[in-house]
Amino acid sequence: MSFRAIAWLAALSAMLLHLVGPEPAEAAGPLVLFGGRLRVGGEVSGTIAPEDDGYFNFIGYDDYGDNVLRRFRAGLSAELRLGRHAAVLGEVRSDNLRAPVVYALFLRVRPWAEKVLDLQAGIVPPVFGAFARRGYASDNPLPGLPLAYQYLTTLRVSAVPASAEELVSKRGGGWQVAYSVGAPYPGPGVPQMNAEVWDTGVQMRIGRRPISLAVSLTQGTLSYPLVDDNNDGKQLAGRLAWSPGPQLTLGVSAARGEFLAGRLTDSLPAEAGSGFDQTAFGADLEYARGYWLVRAETLWSRWTLPALDETRIETPQDSLGAFLEARYKLQPGLYVAGRAGHLSFSDLASVSGTETWDADVTRLEVGGGYSLHRQVLLKVAWQYNWRDGGRVRNEGLVAAQVVLWF
Amino acid sequence: MVLARHTFAGVAAAGLLAAVVAAGSGQTVPAGSIRGRVEIRLSTSGITARPDIAGLGMPDPRDVPDRRTSVVYLEAVPRGAFQAPPPGRAALDQRNETFVPHVLAVTVGTTVEFPNSDRVFHNVFSLSKARRFDLGRYPRGDSRAVRFDRPGMVRVFCEIHSQMSAFVLVFAHRFFDTTDQEGRYEIEGVPPGTYTLSVWNEGEVRATRTVELSQGGDGIAESFVVE
Repeated sequence: MSFRAIAWLAALSAMLLHLVGPEPAEAAGPLVLFGGRLRVGGEVSGTIAPEDDGYFNFIGYDDYGDNVLRRFRAGLSAELRLGRHAAVLGEVRSDNLRAPVVYALFLRVRPWAEKVLDLQAGIVPPVFGAFARRGYASDNPLPGLPLAYQYLTTLRVSAVPASAEELVSKRGGGWQVAYSVGAPYPGPGVPQMNAEVWDTGVQMRIGRRPISLAVSLTQGTLSYPLVDDNNDGKQLAGRLAWSPGPQLTLGVSAARGEFLAGRLTDSLPAEAGSGFDQTAFGADLEYARGYWLVRAETLWSRWTLPALDETRIETPQDSLGAFLEARYKLQPGLYVAGRAGHLSFSDLASVSGTETWDADVTRLEVGGGYSLHRQVLLKVAWQYNWRDGGRVRNEGLVAAQVVLWF
Repeated sequence: MVLARHTFAGVAAAGLLAAVVAAGSGQTVPAGSIRGRVEIRLSTSGITARPDIAGLGMPDPRDVPDRRTSVVYLEAVPRGAFQAPPPGRAALDQRNETFVPHVLAVTVGTTVEFPNSDRVFHNVFSLSKARRFDLGRYPRGDSRAVRFDRPGMVRVFCEIHSQMSAFVLVFAHRFFDTTDQEGRYEIEGVPPGTYTLSVWNEGEVRATRTVELSQGGDGIAESFVVE
């Protein structure tokens, strides 16, 4: 057993021993310091699963992607109140005991206490859709993530295919893609929307129940959130939410931002075109009543790539992702849950014929969770993936996850 | 002064055993009262909301529960006190994302209503050994009820709002009282004898004291300062 594995098992055991005492009296909330001005919370999760030979559960960072089902994650979050109208919030995370990274860091301001008008600036939560704001392991009924927010397509920001043939030759291989134009090294593709990294910019929320509107202006795109701008382009995103009653929330979202890195587009010939954007529209629903919690989302995304060699990629690359998720509580502390999702891609004509530019993929995940304690949740799930291309086309696996939070 | 830091459940169980051993005849004897005041000087922040990192703005202001509320009770009582108390009813409201009251002390067999007075859903639950329950999500104006059949401390939470918490203390006897806003309490109808009087606050027994009620007296005064 490696040192890293021993270390995270030890950390997990220590937290379990701390939390799973007989009726711990005060181990139920975040740390409160400086008279309540500073609150510090945390979440630790460990997920185990067999090797994912089809790379269905990998997520891309700048570096080689991680498998979300074989991950130990420790995160600390903090909120520092600066009076009645402002607060600084932040979160750092470490995956598999790597150096911590700043996941969120922003200033939150409500200028008028009586009006619901909030401003946030920094590395901010995404306004688009719903899942990315509830991606914490304690909020996710299953160990896996929805395809739309995790599955790596074959598109990259720093490298592009020279032709339609080159793009379709990568179908089903988004976990590690190399193209002949741009960055010469292989790297992971991008998901429709990345829930693992938050974008940097400013955002505003206005409205009061039952309607609220949130808009943001950020450096990156849904697929590739950034701290430092890489192309002098900004993304404008927004979500309009309507809650006709406490049991139902409906949302519609839209976003548009420049997708490809400036270092790449600067090297392209003028005839390759311009405006290499990601445009996305989404709709989300949450219904909760009694012991049921049902969530559904759909996300349509379009990326525009440069038209280079023959066969030129003249049409934009579209994809449609959707998932339906349900949780039902069987008894106190015990629930069952399931999520079905699909991700499809638009057709692309090449010399070999017409086929989707990436391989359609479908995922079914069913499982359940049991709370040993209010702050200790165990989850077990069976996940099956089908893909219309790639080296591995079908794969089933069982995953288990333990989550501790305070 | 903090004399002991026990969990309520452990002390309650010990008290039950002691009471059985010390069982008297159960005949009616003149009863007095134990009254006094509990002053909480502890700084107990209790449970607060997790940092709302994923939120898109400031949460609306919420009520803050009064964490000075304490429960004063006798650990061992005469056998007669264990005769089944009449089934009672009580309520623990959900108001402005806060449980009201924050501390509820009841006798075994009591049914507690959990009405929702907020515009938003709540999901009241407890994973305490003394009573596990989950009431699911229900809207404003609706209520769900739970009967508490075992003595002990039951921690109550809302699944949706992490700062919401309350305590239900379930006693097998009637010799307890919850302090008022001034910290005052009064346990009435206590037969003459020697007892252990305990003060519970925010999940822990903060103080215990041996007290004696004499025959013919109408009661004693016992006050506590918990620091």
